[in-house]
Amino acid sequence: MNNLCADIGYMSLNHVGEELCGDRVDVVEENDNSFVIVLADGLGSGVKANILSTLTSKMLSTMLSQGIPVEDCVETVAATLPICSVRKVAYSTFTIIHIINNEEAELIQYDNPAVILLRNGKNYEYPSTETVVGGKKIYRSRIKLMENDIFIAMSDGCIHAGVGMSLNFGWERKDIIEFMETIADVGYTAKTLSTMLLEECNRLYENKPGDDTTVCTVRIRKRCPMNLLFGPPSNRADGDRMMSLFFAKEGKHIVCGGTTSTIAAKYLGKTLKPQLLSPDPEIPPIAELEGVDLVTEGVITINKVLEYARDYLADNHSYTHWSFKRDGASLIARLLFEEATDINFFVGRAINPAHQNPDLPINFSIKMQLVTGLSECLTKMGKRVKVIYF
Amino acid sequence: MKITVCIGSSCHLKGSRQVTEQLQYLISHNNLKDKIELAGTFCMGNCQNGVCVTLDDKLYSLTPENTTEFFEKEVLPHV
Repeated sequence: MNNLCADIGYMSLNHVGEELCGDRVDVVEENDNSFVIVLADGLGSGVKANILSTLTSKMLSTMLSQGIPVEDCVETVAATLPICSVRKVAYSTFTIIHIINNEEAELIQYDNPAVILLRNGKNYEYPSTETVVGGKKIYRSRIKLMENDIFIAMSDGCIHAGVGMSLNFGWERKDIIEFMETIADVGYTAKTLSTMLLEECNRLYENKPGDDTTVCTVRIRKRCPMNLLFGPPSNRADGDRMMSLFFAKEGKHIVCGGTTSTIAAKYLGKTLKPQLLSPDPEIPPIAELEGVDLVTEGVITINKVLEYARDYLADNHSYTHWSFKRDGASLIARLLFEEATDINFFVGRAINPAHQNPDLPINFSIKMQLVTGLSECLTKMGKRVKVIYF
Repeated sequence: MKITVCIGSSCHLKGSRQVTEQLQYLISHNNLKDKIELAGTFCMGNCQNGVCVTLDDKLYSLTPENTTEFFEKEVLPHV
């Protein structure tokens, strides 16, 4: 065992005019530390391609995660796929990234652009062996994982971006490597890296993708615990117990809420120094407190973080806001979405009488919904989330 | 002289940012930067009457609309 973990993020662009994507990514978690990730690209576009790639990715990921040899999986897929009435073939290309115990990656590739591996921000050419299964040439590799390894799997829509439009021959794998090398070291999440590459492809396509385009990034990183305290305990006498449990936890500490941070300051015996004006008029100011990594206001800030989290899981447009801004919500978003892998929420259930005013959008039930919503989103991002109520 | 403005959730929603900005403007407009200290604080426990502002230790309840009046009546004569 090691303390590495895999951050997996993918996004797709649809062929212009299509509602369905002909590419499909499927991730199956074998156990806490092993994943099978399949990116399949179905022949053609639209409904037909969508069915082909969905069948392929789902079958491969399910069968492989049950330990069935890849030869059998591929044969099963070939025998199952419906044959296209126009082209008389059943066809879906695929890339499989099998992360084993967060120690090793097994790549199995068939006809998609070869997976790019960036090791410490630089392209790393890994060895592959060719095997023929049912007439299909399949390339297999086994790679020992290292921290900061970034695997980028693509459908051919990526390397065809811009063909006959902004570029004569599209951009090649080596151009994509160059593009990704420049942003590999920043610490962006797998999802953001995928989004950035896809946005560049979309730009080359002049916003009219001529093919379904998909990027799936797997980033190998160290586990990083994070603790967030939100709200005073429902029973005043529990304050010290809540604080001592919270501050005993390994990792960074975030405190949200005015009253909550006052209790934390008292417990730590330090002074709370609030900022006067926030850089963002919508979000209340943050504060400084020795021994705490970040102090923010409560409900309004967390509400914005939840908005960012939902967007991150959908089309990830708002990373252009939270990825650099200095307001409380953006700072929390960066800590939770980018830095953290294991998050402990310490939630106090005290009811603030001032917030139970029907004119204000911050009452108690909203606060509890925020916690549930945010922990759901973070779980979907692949993080381990624990919520403790006081 | 110290003016403290609450920047907690309730007061934020009731306009504490505008109150702070107006006070900042009024202080620099009257050249009182070295006489008046302007600070923020989290919840003062008096949310119903926000925006909560203390002038030294006296509590006031302001709105963005009456901030100038407060400054002229309560602050200027006592500087």
